Amino acid sequence: MTGWHVDDDALRRWIDRTDSLSDGASVEQHLLSCDRCRATVNATVTAGPVAGLVDLTTVWSRTRDAIELPRPSAFERLLRRAGLPEHEARLVAVASAFRGAWLTGVAVVLAFAAVAGALGHSRGAVVFLLVAPLVPCLTVASSYDPEVDPALEPELVTPYPALRLILLRTITVLAVALPAEVLAGLLIPGQARYLWLLPAVGFVAAVLALSTWTSPLRAAVAVSLAWLAAVWLLMARSGSPDAALHDWFQLGYLLLAAASLAIFLIRRGHLRELRPRRS
Amino acid sequence: MDGSLSDAMLLAAVGERDLDAMRALYDRHAGWLSVRLARRCNDPDMVADAVQDTFVAVWRKPRGFRGDGDVAAWLWGIAIRRLLSRLRTRTDIVAVFETAEIAPAAEDQVLLSVEYGDIGQALARLSPEMRAVIQAVVLDGLTAKEAARLLDMPVASVKTRLHRAKAHLRAALAEGMS
Repeated sequence: MTGWHVDDDALRRWIDRTDSLSDGASVEQHLLSCDRCRATVNATVTAGPVAGLVDLTTVWSRTRDAIELPRPSAFERLLRRAGLPEHEARLVAVASAFRGAWLTGVAVVLAFAAVAGALGHSRGAVVFLLVAPLVPCLTVASSYDPEVDPALEPELVTPYPALRLILLRTITVLAVALPAEVLAGLLIPGQARYLWLLPAVGFVAAVLALSTWTSPLRAAVAVSLAWLAAVWLLMARSGSPDAALHDWFQLGYLLLAAASLAIFLIRRGHLRELRPRRS
Repeated sequence: MDGSLSDAMLLAAVGERDLDAMRALYDRHAGWLSVRLARRCNDPDMVADAVQDTFVAVWRKPRGFRGDGDVAAWLWGIAIRRLLSRLRTRTDIVAVFETAEIAPAAEDQVLLSVEYGDIGQALARLSPEMRAVIQAVVLDGLTAKEAARLLDMPVASVKTRLHRAKAHLRAALAEGMS
């Protein structure tokens, strides 16, 4: 601060934009380091409306709103960059499958089983083969079940094609869950490391199809129980833990996937019931 | 808010997520920032967006201020760049760099010679295009690339005009001295 200040008339001309460039430049240079002249400008601007200037009160309330809103998550920003419109990125990103705890739990179980399998414990490999096909369908189910995800309720009461939402979420959930599983599966010796892929796809499709009748999570639980029971029965009969993954069973999973997808698309009108009933 | 707190102290408080400090900072700086931005862009909505973006950016990264120089200068650096990135998405709005030319009054002559010496008159004699470049690069502190974006012209033109404008100014000043 120099003790020298721009006189009020010059400041006024600067605000009204009626001064010359060189005068303006000199005022601007001075304002950068002078509290007092800045305060004079602020007082003038807020005292009365100046033509062509912004309303500072409105701008402040908008600024405060922007500040207080939570920043979109990194994942949401990634989806935006991938080209999804803002509201859809939000819809997809709030899927509970992306809440850290859930994914971490899945990753830990898979990693545990995979490490055990790699170390030669056949039980580890069995656990991996049992769990791996179920992970995608469970994550997909929990990603759009209204009971798991309360955030879904206000989303679905706005008119929005449920089919599009579910497919978008399914794709993004699989994009996260499948690579993680494939990585864990690399630790499993032998063919088994990719044999779980077809049943996994079949189960996801089955859950989508069943969710036109019941809640997605219930569908996923039913599919999981059926799978566990089938594997247990096969093990008891043949003695081989991965019998359910071999030969013509794989063809069966492919058929299951195709049939389920067909059912899902035919019955997609029933998905509207996903919308929670207003109480 | 206590008026005796310095801008740097307010910024530190903003770093502690203090919304009142943010408000105080806004009250001190939004006014002159909005006027200075409005002198660069004649669309009030665009200026409003730029002012909002500026303070949102300050809220997110108050540590961006390193503690050297004036907070006001730091804020201006953010604001002009926010305006630039807003302008980039809109091609229908053209930045203005022209202000009404009126003959400087006697006291303004004094003001000019205090702040800039004879440069004021030399600036006034430049062509509008050259003045726009001088303002963007020399006075607003933009890079040639940023100025090119703001003025919607190729970088090469900014550089040639800047070069010529500086030559003009040098000549005018040399003339004034002799």
